[in-house]
Amino acid sequence: MDDYAAVIAALNKTWFGAELSPETQERLARLGEIQDFEAEEVILHEGDDAKEMGILMSGRLALRTLVPERGPVTILSVEPGDIFGWSAVLADTKAQSTVVATEVSRALVIEGVSLRAALKEDHALAASLYPRVLKAVARRLRATRLQLLDLFAG
Amino acid sequence: MITSPAHSYAAAARQWFLARENLGALVEAIRGTGRRVIGPTIREGAIVYDEIQTAADLPTGWRDEQAAGRYRLERSTNDRVFGYTVGPTPWKRYTFPPNLTIATAHRSNTFGFDQPVPDAPPLAFLGVRACEIAALAIQDKVFLGGPFTDDDFRARRAAAFIVAVQCTTSSSTCFCTSMETGPEVRGGYDILLTEIDEGFVIQAGSPGGSAIVAGLPTRGLSHAEAGAAIDNVEAVRTQMGKPLPMEGIAERLKLQLDHPRWAEVAERCVECGNCTMSCPTCFCTAVVEKSDLDGKTSSTERQWDTCFDVGFARVAGGDFRARPRDRYRQWLTHKFSTWWDQFGSSGCVGCGRCIAWCPVRIDVRDELAAIAPPIAPIVRPVAVEPVAASPGTYSIARLASVRPETEDTTTLTLTDLNPAFLSGRPGQFVMVALPAFPAVPIGISKLRSNAIDLTVRAVGPTSRALGSLHPGAKVGLRGPLGTFWPIEEAYGRHAVVVAGGVGLSPLHGLVDALVANRDRFESVSLFYGSRTPEDQLYRDDLAAWSASKAIDVAITVDRAGPEWKGRVGVVTTLFDMISWDCSKVTAFVVGPERMMQASVQGLISKGVPTDRIHVSMERHMECGIGLCGHCQMAGRFVCKDGPVFRLNDLGDMFNREGI
Repeated sequence: MDDYAAVIAALNKTWFGAELSPETQERLARLGEIQDFEAEEVILHEGDDAKEMGILMSGRLALRTLVPERGPVTILSVEPGDIFGWSAVLADTKAQSTVVATEVSRALVIEGVSLRAALKEDHALAASLYPRVLKAVARRLRATRLQLLDLFAG
Repeated sequence: MITSPAHSYAAAARQWFLARENLGALVEAIRGTGRRVIGPTIREGAIVYDEIQTAADLPTGWRDEQAAGRYRLERSTNDRVFGYTVGPTPWKRYTFPPNLTIATAHRSNTFGFDQPVPDAPPLAFLGVRACEIAALAIQDKVFLGGPFTDDDFRARRAAAFIVAVQCTTSSSTCFCTSMETGPEVRGGYDILLTEIDEGFVIQAGSPGGSAIVAGLPTRGLSHAEAGAAIDNVEAVRTQMGKPLPMEGIAERLKLQLDHPRWAEVAERCVECGNCTMSCPTCFCTAVVEKSDLDGKTSSTERQWDTCFDVGFARVAGGDFRARPRDRYRQWLTHKFSTWWDQFGSSGCVGCGRCIAWCPVRIDVRDELAAIAPPIAPIVRPVAVEPVAASPGTYSIARLASVRPETEDTTTLTLTDLNPAFLSGRPGQFVMVALPAFPAVPIGISKLRSNAIDLTVRAVGPTSRALGSLHPGAKVGLRGPLGTFWPIEEAYGRHAVVVAGGVGLSPLHGLVDALVANRDRFESVSLFYGSRTPEDQLYRDDLAAWSASKAIDVAITVDRAGPEWKGRVGVVTTLFDMISWDCSKVTAFVVGPERMMQASVQGLISKGVPTDRIHVSMERHMECGIGLCGHCQMAGRFVCKDGPVFRLNDLGDMFNREGI
């Protein structure tokens, strides 16, 4: 129980988890597990099955994609409070980028199959989680759109 | 008297001479109008305001010695009646009594609450000093200036006849000159006395005062006596000096709510409340209910309270100011800062009672100097007159050093300059020319004591030529030109600098100025985004700024290779880090226009007011002085009316396509 309390406390420090109901927070805490990553540890490979979604508690992750003739390019960093591996919310999807810890990091990692099952069965969980995932994806889309605009062109 | 036509009346009133032996006639005359006279008396080794029957009750031939935590009365070598400054008694004791029954209640045969009719005995206050008159006026604002007023205070003030006395001596604790309340009495009295060697100069300040003075055994004033009265008071002003610089103190304190000195002074403070009890303006009270044993009748008493009391801010759930440092901060910031917000003046009159009567010798002047030290007055800079303003004429400068910043960008340090360039302001630019190359506008990136830095990106023939110069080379300069960053508009606010790519160049001087004046700002932040890590300018400066505590630096890049461990994402993602009240942000934004547009939108969506966002615009410039027409942007020439603009002033021209 103490472990769950610690996870909930950590969730409360993230924008993603702070305003979830205590029941939802506990559900998430029970679904996931806290994982620590070393600097340069690869958490997820681009193209692999999206098996896990994570909420970053501390540290920094890089989302990298392989560009022909340029090698791996970091397209976005994930800062504490943000999520990674959100594709795991959907069945049968592949990771869109490689997730690498650029420094020692800690995250609440939730296995995709369990997460999807819980979302199907627990409507309260789904009602609070989906908008947050959508918000995270929307933030990423907005940032990507600005990147596409190439603000520094000219 | 509450308010008297003293200024006009006193100005017109004639001055008379009253011999010292005739002071008793004044006391008698006032008593003859049915008033009790309250004046200085000696009690327990201090000057205490209490009732006097005759002039003989006044402390003739005494002087005081006051310092922090020290008060001593001693015999003086003259027979002056008012040869001391203020004692521990504030006059509020008589206008705002320490204990006052404000209601009674009963529930025997009947049930009800009764409010007593104010009982204000006609009193005359004899020996009221300039700072004390100012204090009475401040309490007038507190008790009578708002929508809810205090009837008892009103009655007591109206019933008080004021005999003021000019200070002809001061203590080391006095600082009325700093608070601009003295030493001269400027009004608010019925009669004014100035003591000189031979006796008193007396004048009326109201019709009631005139009636009294007319009946006294006075004579006309000699020229020498009138001069002595003025000189005696002026000598006090000179002697006191201005011990506490007050300019901007209200704002200075608001910026220092987290200063470590609050905890340090709280270690010394014993929270006795002497400062608030002896303060002539402190007005906090507690209401105490006193009941008969059978609970059938009770009275409600208002008593002086102190914000140093442990329970002063307590509610059922806890104490809002639980720590001594919180309580000391409350008192000092109320007196010198938030009082202005509430009542339009300082809550301190500089009488020094809180200093003399502090048992642990805390001196508010020292605390204010340590917590909110004076800062140089705000001087809104004006642009210097540019040199070689006319196109075709240039002032020659020498290239002292060249520093590559990125693959295509170089910083040039120019020296041997016309002094006008050194007086340029962050945000301004210069026109730079080389023989055979057209002049180009370059923003001043750093103002040094004897040099300026220009950061040049090689995008055309002139900038490429400039970037390939070696130290010792000469260049032609015109300027400094254009508008500059209005740094003073960010005083007391969160200063946010948003830079994109080479846009950090015209902001470098601004960041230097913000860091140099860090105490003037609530916080200072730099959000810097560039396309890749390799495109960052001033990496050494960024590292130094990051290492300093003066400024928070957040850096991101749009994309990076695996070797980059920092943030990746557009510059606007950094705004997620903003946790302040954005209505208190003043922002300075430079970068490519698309980046500025996204940044400005991001700032506005966070709540930053549009009139607090300043941008620097880039346009094709050839003359730099608004004559060639190239840089026109709607109704403005960017070179002359800009390049720094307030976002509001650009209106919908900002980022409009094709303008």
